[in-house]
Amino acid sequence: MGAEIARERRRPPVSEPSPSPPEATPGEPPAKKAVAPPPFLLDFFPLEDAKQTRLSPFFDHLRAGRLTTTRCRRDGRMSWPPRVVCPDCHTSELDWVDLPAAGRIYAFSAVLMGAPLGMEADVPFVVGLVEMDGVPFRLFGRIVGTPWETCRIGMPVRPEPYDLGDGRVFYRFRTVT
Amino acid sequence: MNLGRGVSLVGGATTKFGVRAATWAEIAQEAGEALFRSMPTLTSADVDSLFVGAAEPERFAFQSHVAPFVAEQLGLAPRRVVQRTELACASGQSAIRSAYAAIASGLSDVAVAVGVEKMNIPSMAEANTSMACVMDRAWDGAHGATAPPFFAMVAQRHMLEYGTTEEAFAAVSEKNHTYANSNPNAQFAEKTFDRAKLGRLPVVAPPLRLGDCSSMTDGGAAVVLVAEELASKYTDRPVHVRGTGQYADFHNLANAGSLTDWVGLKHASREAFRSAGIGPSDLDFAEVHDCFTISEIVEYEAIGLCEPGEGGKFVLDGRSSIGGDVAVNTRGGLLGCGHPLGATGIAQAVEVFDQFAGRVPSARQVPSPEWALVHNLSGSANVHSVMIYQGAS
Repeated sequence: MGAEIARERRRPPVSEPSPSPPEATPGEPPAKKAVAPPPFLLDFFPLEDAKQTRLSPFFDHLRAGRLTTTRCRRDGRMSWPPRVVCPDCHTSELDWVDLPAAGRIYAFSAVLMGAPLGMEADVPFVVGLVEMDGVPFRLFGRIVGTPWETCRIGMPVRPEPYDLGDGRVFYRFRTVT
Repeated sequence: MNLGRGVSLVGGATTKFGVRAATWAEIAQEAGEALFRSMPTLTSADVDSLFVGAAEPERFAFQSHVAPFVAEQLGLAPRRVVQRTELACASGQSAIRSAYAAIASGLSDVAVAVGVEKMNIPSMAEANTSMACVMDRAWDGAHGATAPPFFAMVAQRHMLEYGTTEEAFAAVSEKNHTYANSNPNAQFAEKTFDRAKLGRLPVVAPPLRLGDCSSMTDGGAAVVLVAEELASKYTDRPVHVRGTGQYADFHNLANAGSLTDWVGLKHASREAFRSAGIGPSDLDFAEVHDCFTISEIVEYEAIGLCEPGEGGKFVLDGRSSIGGDVAVNTRGGLLGCGHPLGATGIAQAVEVFDQFAGRVPSARQVPSPEWALVHNLSGSANVHSVMIYQGAS
């Protein structure tokens, strides 16, 4: 995973290279109307601040370029998503561990229509399940870098953080070619 | 698992399904109208309990506490049990299972199970947002996970692992749409689709096209379940609940395991068959959850109607049509009827009652059935709910 957070605006977001919006002429409205952020309860992304979640280290790690999750100190169980209590032994003695910096596409599709609120401008976007060596689950996420028509099962990907534009970060996968 | 008293399904009805010029409350009232019209001997005072299957009234209609809300819409005053059941796409079957449990235990004698969903709202992006929060919203929904891309990945893996073809997907859709043409309450009752036409529809989430996906639908349905000894007041053709099973094995997509081997459905259907004392080959017809064409194919395999990997061949060979091994989705399925989440499981039970009563149009009547299975999945096929019914011989 790259050490630098990809600096991209949340909308138009992540996926394929989109043409940069034309420079606004002074005195004229911008070519593309800015999309207002959705109401709080229609915002998909997790709360990241330590005042709101015990998982805030996940997002601190992500800002530093590390994709991490929790592993139980007692029974070694690695979970996804990260947790505050181990689902097996029901204790909160968990450590943060790094996930591998590389994986492969196990399955993928693309959203060509029917995108949720706030994601309409992303269409078409690729999503998929990514398998990683030594990890007992497959991570689901956006896959960028290759359009859906040429994505293939088995294609190598690496996780990367991206900036949501409001102080928060999230993760996605980029194909390695 | 055999509960106490025998429980019978004694009638039911649905509203028109589709993009309806009607609110959530109005659809609930229509379900009541359809139910009481179809059951002349049923009175409001008979009904001691009400179970309301509704997946997302908070999101689609901004309405909580819908069990008493529905009681008022239907003119009922439940005095034993009144509750809502929410299990996403299986909310309707969940209402029926809860009614079954209440009657079997003696808590209720006469229960109504109603399903209502209103999914077509002026902002379809908001509606799609509602569908995404069926998933693990913060960790899967935030990537844009809704049902179509998930089931598209199931289809992709099934094609890779077993060589299943897009023609098999289209065969499921063609079959169910054809049956829906004999169901006036189906969303697509008037529309005909053959495989060639289905293959030209736009891609929603590759490899799935529009005709591989069930729709966003408004609709309601209601059934009545009673203690077996009370059934004769309502019908001379009661249908008996003989078995049920349910299984939930993951939620976040990371923990799905195999996309093509639906272990949860194997568990749920085996438990249902065991409690009914029958096996897959005894079934005469089945209502299974064809939210997507690939779902029906994987379900044939997990329920045990065919071997793993042979679901595509099963439909292409006509073995899931009337006259084949087992008639699947004679109502028209979710593909042909539309999928108002909370109403779907109830509408499937209505089809079961009507099939056994011999009162469906001849184009979709299964000859002399004895055993039927109903299946619903919910979410990303992470929960499976199954019921087995026996008709009066």
